[in-house]
Amino acid sequence: MLTRTGLTRLCRARDQLRETLVSALSIEEVAREASMSPYHFIRRFDELFGETPHQYRTRARLERAKHLLALSDYSVTNVCMEVGFTSLGSFSRLFTQRVGAPPSAYRKHIRSQVQIPAALPQVLFPGCLNLMARLPADCAIFKKHRGGRSATLAEVSTSVAAAGPAESDPAGEKESS
Amino acid sequence: MRIKLTSVLVDDQDKALKFYTDVLGFVKKHDVPVGEYRWITVVSPEGPDDLELALEPNANPAAKTYQEALFKQRIPLTAFEVSDLDAEFERLRARGVVFTGEPTKAGPVKIAVLSDTCGNLIQLYQPLET
Repeated sequence: MLTRTGLTRLCRARDQLRETLVSALSIEEVAREASMSPYHFIRRFDELFGETPHQYRTRARLERAKHLLALSDYSVTNVCMEVGFTSLGSFSRLFTQRVGAPPSAYRKHIRSQVQIPAALPQVLFPGCLNLMARLPADCAIFKKHRGGRSATLAEVSTSVAAAGPAESDPAGEKESS
Repeated sequence: MRIKLTSVLVDDQDKALKFYTDVLGFVKKHDVPVGEYRWITVVSPEGPDDLELALEPNANPAAKTYQEALFKQRIPLTAFEVSDLDAEFERLRARGVVFTGEPTKAGPVKIAVLSDTCGNLIQLYQPLET
């Protein structure tokens, strides 16, 4: 059972684990701050958040790396250091494995989609209805309900596709005006 | 106009699909790749033509902030109806699901709140016969 205190401590621990600097607290230190033994802490964290503290921290670091690659002028090596990895090799390997492309290829790809300088492309953080609007028009979800409300969404999807890779609404409006 | 779709924010879509199907027992309806993410919806086997629930990536920083604030304040993101809360509570707890307390009566319903392991608290409620 999750008590109020337990929830508060584990949420605070999660905030601390998101800290990506090399000088960030170790898992043992975060556990101590949460007044738990490392074993107990790892178990409770996993039960509540569906992944171990280490897995959570790794995911947070890779997320931050993606944002830095998209927005900053840091070199891949600097991004690697900035998000708390000490070896470029292991950073690149892990990034490629999780994201599907090496850091430099990811940067090239994501930057080709940015239409407003210094803004992240919307593809990095879609809302669910944005995802739906971007589904291909011949997708099963639309075929199934052809003629109904979903057909309208299919039209939206087609018009989005026709307008080109307008990932960001403001940019899309600018282009069409 | 009908309400046929709603969503929960999740921090990882793979993890979410596993929890919402393998643990809670919903059934996958759609799983379509859309760029870096997927359009995933699940339905209840007890009502496959009812509402569809989209497992929505919380990648938007605003979504993360909202989700974490609700969680810290112990506020459930949404609620699912069950016909026998005590049985569901035991079934899910045996599968390692964390609850914030035992099933409790709250007016016309009995409720229990669980962690969906994707950053949300979810309330289960059973309407009580009056």
